Amino acid sequence: MPLEGRHICFRYPNAAGEMFSDLNFRLSGPGFHALFGPSGVGKTTLAKMLTGAIRGFDGEIAANGVRRVLYTYNLERLPGWSNVRAHFEEIAPSAGRRRVDELIETFGIEANVASRFHRLSLGQQNRANLIRYLLQDFDLLIMDESLANVDELTREKIILKIKAMFPERGFLYISHNVAEVAKFCSQVLVLRSQSKTPQVVSVQGQDHREDAAPDPSRLERAMLEIVHAA
Amino acid sequence: MLHRRITQFFMIYFLGVGLLLALKYVLSLSDYVIPSPGEIWRTSRTYAGPYLLAVLNTLAVAVLGHIVSICLATAVAIIGRLTAWVGSFIRTAAFNIQAYPIVAVAPIIFILLGDGLASRLLIAAMICYFPLLLSFIGVFSEPVREIEHFYESTGRMTWRLQVKIRAFENVHKLTTVIVGSATMAMVGTIVAEFIAATAGIGYSIRVALYQSDLAKILVALFLIGIGTSLYLVSLEWVGNALQARLKRI
Repeated sequence: MPLEGRHICFRYPNAAGEMFSDLNFRLSGPGFHALFGPSGVGKTTLAKMLTGAIRGFDGEIAANGVRRVLYTYNLERLPGWSNVRAHFEEIAPSAGRRRVDELIETFGIEANVASRFHRLSLGQQNRANLIRYLLQDFDLLIMDESLANVDELTREKIILKIKAMFPERGFLYISHNVAEVAKFCSQVLVLRSQSKTPQVVSVQGQDHREDAAPDPSRLERAMLEIVHAA
Repeated sequence: MLHRRITQFFMIYFLGVGLLLALKYVLSLSDYVIPSPGEIWRTSRTYAGPYLLAVLNTLAVAVLGHIVSICLATAVAIIGRLTAWVGSFIRTAAFNIQAYPIVAVAPIIFILLGDGLASRLLIAAMICYFPLLLSFIGVFSEPVREIEHFYESTGRMTWRLQVKIRAFENVHKLTTVIVGSATMAMVGTIVAEFIAATAGIGYSIRVALYQSDLAKILVALFLIGIGTSLYLVSLEWVGNALQARLKRI
């Protein structure tokens, strides 16, 4: 799943300056990757370019074998006319249905799926929202702050489970948590302000998995590289 | 709810009657101009029965006109949300048309349709249709992005689902607008009856006006107030029950 952006230039209509100026990046293949950078630098804009929601920019995005890109963000809501489980069952394709219970258990919302979405806490809402995307057919899932308001231990459990369950698929995790992206992501695309060149720097993360022991020195190095690049 | 509405109506009604009587006694006006309390009481005992039937007749036409305008406004708003220019065109047209006073348009309707039920129904529906339409277009044209995004991006969105999401998310707003427009439906029907119809409480008021009988008009107003309050309370009850049902776990 190589995903490559070449010479991307983009300016929002009526904006003072360019959002991207000759932006280049390359995601080498499937796996859990991150898009990291300070607020307002264009992470969501780049994500929307990858999904095709933003067009009309200069340059190109070549997505070999990436048929379907989905984008999810942390403010999404499930409709209120049914409970969470009924919604999962309604939107899960037949292939994804067998995963519903497994995901509900891993994400720690078994006690909440009989409730309607608005009754859930913010963290539970974000987890429920992410589950329904994981049930879909996709090649690349962009998770924009999708695990916000979820405690650290549960986040870790969820990310490890996602990596174990979907090794052949691509994930682009947008987060402001340096330690998290350095520890769990394979490749971290650090998006920098328009004044810096190049605008994207790729850093190798630790890509920690359930079956491997963490390497503190490698993690520390990755974190330093990310902070330095940003 | 019923108790509150009826109490509010009684306060306003009896305050108005009290002011009229105060005016009568301060300016020493004759019973011919403003009737005495005894005259009002005698008139109410004589005419309460036939006027109540007339109010029910009016209320039936108003309810029917209201239902017609709700259905029509829903259908047009759903079509209007399809593309930006259709919605914009319908909204502008609705603004312009509702700017015409219905009394000015009513004679055309009576000339074309006569003074029967059809004219009363049409005027009742017209007077509450445009405010309903403007609100409905606003609701159905406004995306609920945080819910619709999932369905859009996974290719599941249909027009039915879109309407369902937007209606569900704005059920409180829709209920409020429907309750608010019920008064307008009642007003529209009475205006139509007053202008040219041969039935309903508006027609009775016109007859009382020709007889310069203010007591009859006061009795009619009392019954109109009670009838309208009951209709509004019924709509509020249905709206609240619907919202409670939707929010129940």
